[in-house]
Amino acid sequence: MKNPFLYLIMITGVILLNTSCKKSFLEVTPKGIQLESNYYQNANQAFAGLVAVYNPLSWEAGGGDNTYIDDLGALNSASDECYAGGGGATDMSFWQVMNNYTVNATSGPQAGFWSKYYTGIYRANLLLQKINGGIPGLSDDVKARYIAECKFLRAYYYFDLVRLFKNVPLILAPLSSSEYYNVVQAKPADVYAQVEKDLNDAIPVLPSAIPTSENGRVTKAAAQALLGKVILYQNDNTRMKAAADLFELVNTSPNYALLSDFGAIFSPDNKFNKESIFEIYHTGSQNAGWGNWPNFQGNVYTQMVGPRSYTGPIYWSGGWSFNPVIANFALAMKSDPRYKYTIANIDSICKATGKSYVIGYQNTGYFIQKFAPLAKYVSTTGQAELNFPNDYIEIRLADTYLMEAEALVRSGTVGKAQYYLDAVRARVGLPSVPATLDNIYNERKLELATEGHRWFDLVRTGKAPSVLASKGFTAGKNEILPIPIKELYNTKLVQNPGYQ
Amino acid sequence: MKKLLLLLFVLLTTWSFAQNFTLKGLVTAAKDGQPLTGVTVVVKGTSRGAITDGQGKYSIAVANGETVSFSFVGMESQSFVANSSQKVLNVILVESISNLNEVVVIGFGTQKKAVVTGAITSVKAADIQSMPVARIEQSLQGRTSGLTIAASSGAPGAASTVRIRGTTSINNSDPLYVVDGVPIDNGGIDFLNQSDIESVEILKDAASAAIYGTKAASGVVLITTKKGSSGALTINYSAYYGTQAPARKLKLLDATEYATLRNESALAAGKPIEFSNPQSLGTGTDWQDAVFSKDARIQSHELSVTGGNDRSTYYASFGYFNQDGIVAPSISNYKRYTIRFNSNHKIKSWLTFGNNLGYSYIKSQSGLNTNSEFGGPLSSAINLDPITPIVITDPTVASQSPYSTFPVYRDSQGHPYGISLLVGQEMSNPIAYMKSQAGNYGWSHNFVGNVYAEIEPIQGLKLKSSLGAKLAFYGNESFGQIYYLSATLSNLVNTNYYRANNQNLIWDWDNTVTYTRSIGKHNFSLLAGTSAQARSASGVNGNYLNLPVNSFGDASMNFSLANVNKIAGGFENQPYALASYFGRVTYDYAGKYLLTGILRVDGSSRFGSNNLYANFPSVSIGWNPYLEDFWPKNDIVNTLKIRASYGVNGNDNISDFAFVSTIGGGRNYVFGLDGTVIGYSPNAPANPDLKWEQTSQTNIGFDANLLKNFSLTFDLYEKITTGQLRQPNIPMYVGATGNPWANIAKIDNKGLEVELGYHANISGVKLDVKANGALMKNKVVYLGPDVTYYTAATFQASAYEISRVAVGQPIGEFYGFVPLGIFQTTANVLNYKSKDGTVIQPNAKPGDFKWADLDGDGQITTNDRTFIGNPTPNFTFGFTISASYKNFDLTLFGQGVSGNKIFQGLRRLDILKANYQTVVLGRWTGPGSSNSFPRLSDDDPNQNFSKPSTFYLEDGAYMRIKTLQIGYTFSNRLMKSAGLQKARIYIMGNNLVTFTKYTGYDPEIGGSSYGIDRGIYPQARSYMLGVDVSF
Repeated sequence: MKNPFLYLIMITGVILLNTSCKKSFLEVTPKGIQLESNYYQNANQAFAGLVAVYNPLSWEAGGGDNTYIDDLGALNSASDECYAGGGGATDMSFWQVMNNYTVNATSGPQAGFWSKYYTGIYRANLLLQKINGGIPGLSDDVKARYIAECKFLRAYYYFDLVRLFKNVPLILAPLSSSEYYNVVQAKPADVYAQVEKDLNDAIPVLPSAIPTSENGRVTKAAAQALLGKVILYQNDNTRMKAAADLFELVNTSPNYALLSDFGAIFSPDNKFNKESIFEIYHTGSQNAGWGNWPNFQGNVYTQMVGPRSYTGPIYWSGGWSFNPVIANFALAMKSDPRYKYTIANIDSICKATGKSYVIGYQNTGYFIQKFAPLAKYVSTTGQAELNFPNDYIEIRLADTYLMEAEALVRSGTVGKAQYYLDAVRARVGLPSVPATLDNIYNERKLELATEGHRWFDLVRTGKAPSVLASKGFTAGKNEILPIPIKELYNTKLVQNPGYQ
Repeated sequence: MKKLLLLLFVLLTTWSFAQNFTLKGLVTAAKDGQPLTGVTVVVKGTSRGAITDGQGKYSIAVANGETVSFSFVGMESQSFVANSSQKVLNVILVESISNLNEVVVIGFGTQKKAVVTGAITSVKAADIQSMPVARIEQSLQGRTSGLTIAASSGAPGAASTVRIRGTTSINNSDPLYVVDGVPIDNGGIDFLNQSDIESVEILKDAASAAIYGTKAASGVVLITTKKGSSGALTINYSAYYGTQAPARKLKLLDATEYATLRNESALAAGKPIEFSNPQSLGTGTDWQDAVFSKDARIQSHELSVTGGNDRSTYYASFGYFNQDGIVAPSISNYKRYTIRFNSNHKIKSWLTFGNNLGYSYIKSQSGLNTNSEFGGPLSSAINLDPITPIVITDPTVASQSPYSTFPVYRDSQGHPYGISLLVGQEMSNPIAYMKSQAGNYGWSHNFVGNVYAEIEPIQGLKLKSSLGAKLAFYGNESFGQIYYLSATLSNLVNTNYYRANNQNLIWDWDNTVTYTRSIGKHNFSLLAGTSAQARSASGVNGNYLNLPVNSFGDASMNFSLANVNKIAGGFENQPYALASYFGRVTYDYAGKYLLTGILRVDGSSRFGSNNLYANFPSVSIGWNPYLEDFWPKNDIVNTLKIRASYGVNGNDNISDFAFVSTIGGGRNYVFGLDGTVIGYSPNAPANPDLKWEQTSQTNIGFDANLLKNFSLTFDLYEKITTGQLRQPNIPMYVGATGNPWANIAKIDNKGLEVELGYHANISGVKLDVKANGALMKNKVVYLGPDVTYYTAATFQASAYEISRVAVGQPIGEFYGFVPLGIFQTTANVLNYKSKDGTVIQPNAKPGDFKWADLDGDGQITTNDRTFIGNPTPNFTFGFTISASYKNFDLTLFGQGVSGNKIFQGLRRLDILKANYQTVVLGRWTGPGSSNSFPRLSDDDPNQNFSKPSTFYLEDGAYMRIKTLQIGYTFSNRLMKSAGLQKARIYIMGNNLVTFTKYTGYDPEIGGSSYGIDRGIYPQARSYMLGVDVSF
């Protein structure tokens, strides 16, 4: 034992050294994570925040029930255009219950819609708050445009909420944790009023034309068209003139025109064409795999509606056969020039060419053509199912033509109604028919088939109970969806009538 | 102690001054006078040592005045001073009647069992050696009370769910593993070779575990690896080789039965029948035979070298373990190579340093979804129809779609594997599926160990510094072929080859000062220390698409591909650091009155500055009344110790940076010319007050030795965990992406544990019996101001959750409807009325379930569900019977649980045409046919099957004969002629019998789907032959 106390001192020193380092030792820096407190500090971050407000538009999966949540799946299943289809009676059960109207508090697409729209609303509210709080490096023009885009998107999300659920909370700023459970549902009229206010705020600021490098961002016409549609949906005939005036601004804008080739409207090669007013963008170049769930920028609905194990050319072989077109609907369109661009008769194609496909649930042989997965758009990178490039045209010119025609007729002054109805028909070579409401609605059915408008049209015109009777539609109940059951736990929300 | 200690027979007592001489003698056991083989004889302070031979004889060179010690497992050690006047020294070793002299590892130190005041149980090497298992958790199952262990799967190398005294937290309830002082990450314990383990200590109460503070809430498992012992070099080789097979096959419908029932089900729904002539289908395909291996091999080899002198000792080993799975063995395999080198060097009388170093390489194939209803060979084997053949031999069928048009798998004759037209979704031909997964594997290299130095400047004062780490490199490789398994399972576009390389480092630096001293009858030991710990992990991966080959074997990253087809990824874990100070006082007065006090202060980087540090105090006391003068001498209670303890532990197992609001990416959208732009928005709302979960536990117990041959340990505890971290579901209308963390929930665990031992030698038969049992009760006390429950588990596509974490219930209690029987007639339906006379199920038909209207509202709604069973057993037990007679030995080890329910969810309800178990043959077919199994109908309007209910729950109790081992130790003459010290061969059966009423493969269902059988990979039944040889 030389001098053990020397060692004792050394060791004690080491321990003390170790100890004195402790504080900084525990202050670790996050890797690849940005803190909210340091964010929204420059123009790039403001833009990234804006992208996040747009993001829910493209949700194809995820949401409150973490499943496929494409809007069209539920809406087409619910209308007289399509069955739910798929692989079996329980495949995508939330669409099946829309098809047979057994939708209830626990089973249905409601949580998907709800979470998608409220996520968008929160992000719009947050960015509005941050912008109003001041983001360095943001010019006044850019700032005004971002505010207008946030308001447009907030209006768009609330409009879908109010027309799907009617009784929804109206939240216009990010909630603090003390407010989470104190929110109540607003009067539908108040929600509509806010939607109109947001759109009216946005219209003067939004650009009337945008360069292709900004494709996907909203324009003045989109806001005008949406505002017209919002007024139309409130079924107040005294305001139809106001709606028609808004549509007229869009319909006479030099930026838009009906395409001469009806089939070209939906082609992924022809995105943001002259007829497109508000388009929801998807891409085939994301290289998404299943691991990216649920953040797909491709169009998964396209995958859903394709035929199963199809062996012929033209279409993708691996579809999942959802939303087969109801035979009666197909028959009603058969002589229409738009038929072949609307409905793919896979059954007869197979019979004629000696090819085959696997019969799915509720198969009719008719498939949706507008969003069909064409072989030429199958992505060669990433998971093919998740990378279809098809867009949705949420508002297009033929729709605003017909909405203006409808608004004019309902306002009592037919005016240009006939002109717009004729224009839509003439584009596909059909003769004029009188501009009556019935004819306009019938034109909407044929022109806009499977684009997600039909079910709303049936509901807002009061035709749903009769047209959808065979599917089990209950008047006074099925016009709206139940509030997602999870939203009722511990909150002040009240379930919609008929779903308690 | 007492007079039982030593008996020395001095045969010759002649004094002389001879310097060196050979000491010889015979060592026998006091009890039966039989010679003892393998007694270690060591001359203290030298490298000289010997071991008694087969006749109990030894001989060793000694010098006058040297101390010779004799030690043997289970016996009191003895020492003598050599004197050349006595050249023959016969020693009689006395069995230790109690284990009170055993030393127990307690964390940063050891303690004699006699003065331990906490609830600690030890498992020694002898108990777990030659167990044919890959992981320590499996070795511990059934060994001690209060440990509930359930394998997550029977797949080779699969981890088990380990709960010490129940589920401590709604979050992570895995115990902390500490190997030779190095804390190991959860689940990373499989690097250890079973044969390298010297002892395992389980710190069950909070007072014992408090020294590990914020990591210890769910208990601590301390593992000590083997150290060298001074004495002659010993080489040991032990090995076993065996065959495994499934213990049970499900009884599923054959093709004729299946077709008959499908027709019945279709007809009941008003649909046409599908099979015009079921009889013509015969028995059809047995898919289970296709996936199970009846001869899966298992083998283990270990070679170890140990030796040393009084200054340096070492232990080195090499191990190899290889196990094939019994399910889909071509894609289920586990291989492990291990190397260990432990050494200890006493350089000076006051300076010691040493190391414990282990390395392992693990390669495992597990291309199965184990216990998942969504595909995987086992789930497919259960659900596929028995009509589809395994291989399509009919050339007309084989020439049609899909066989003619898609890249289907084929057998060696070119026949395609059958694709079911009846059962789709995630189900596929398991043989074809196995081919699609061929070659894919995961691997890891693990370096775990520590180096330490200890200084003892003055007697009793020890300063120790230990630096430990676990460094792991791990990854996996897989190849995605072009294939077509079914219409929903195919990859027709791109091959892809994926490779991931990751690394993980945990380091830990502990510095301690210990001072141990006795003043008169006051014995005390003081410990003070600091500990710093940090973790990091990172990885990169690459995915190559469109390779010009189509199999794993041909895949290579050397193929030149367009850059767009090379996708890279990577990650790094958030940094994590823990800094701690701790102190411990242990004190006893004459071994009678015992006291231990611990305080640990932990700082964790996971908590905000509002709550950066946490204090974890504990105190425990004990009393050995049998040492008191007033204790009446008796032969009934030989020893008795009464203990009580209270302590607080913590749990910081939450995600990093949960206390601040962070921004997340991936909220993207497409703008411009098809360009995705990255969007950012806040993640879950922040909670700056976030802190650790706190578990406080009170324990009282006693240890006794009774009637000389019996030992008894009894413990009673209550463990309360408060402030458990939860992400309460906030309403979706808040619009947040994710839910905020908060300190909310409270859980209470109460329990009672008994361990009983019996040790006897009855006319040459040595008998050793150990049994343990534990009762426990778990209750969720609080989940938040407005929350009465949240969903624990969901099942398939059911809209209803099947289990809940609910206030007042055990964690994860099953929740569902209650059928009261089956309506036999229409009159039964109409007579089932509520109080006000409403017919409750007006649309039901005879053969449907009569659901209990629990809320009495006259209809069956979601409110008619209730708590229907606990997935966690409330009683666990284990027993070991060891016996030896002459050269033969026998060990029987069993284990079991009771009080739990299993959700038997083997059939896919959302696949209409999935096959059934034969229990369906007893379904309702007409009045009086069944009151428990409803009618079959394709549309199932009464939701007989789709509602989760008691119909799916089965009694989960089981008792399993885990191991039966019969060994033979070769006689001395034979061994000597072969130059061996010891040779033993044994045969062993594992999982030989399981007594259970459960109808699935295996009632042991751990893992994330605890107690829910979605098609669990069953435990194998195996038979093995083993050898154990020492040179």
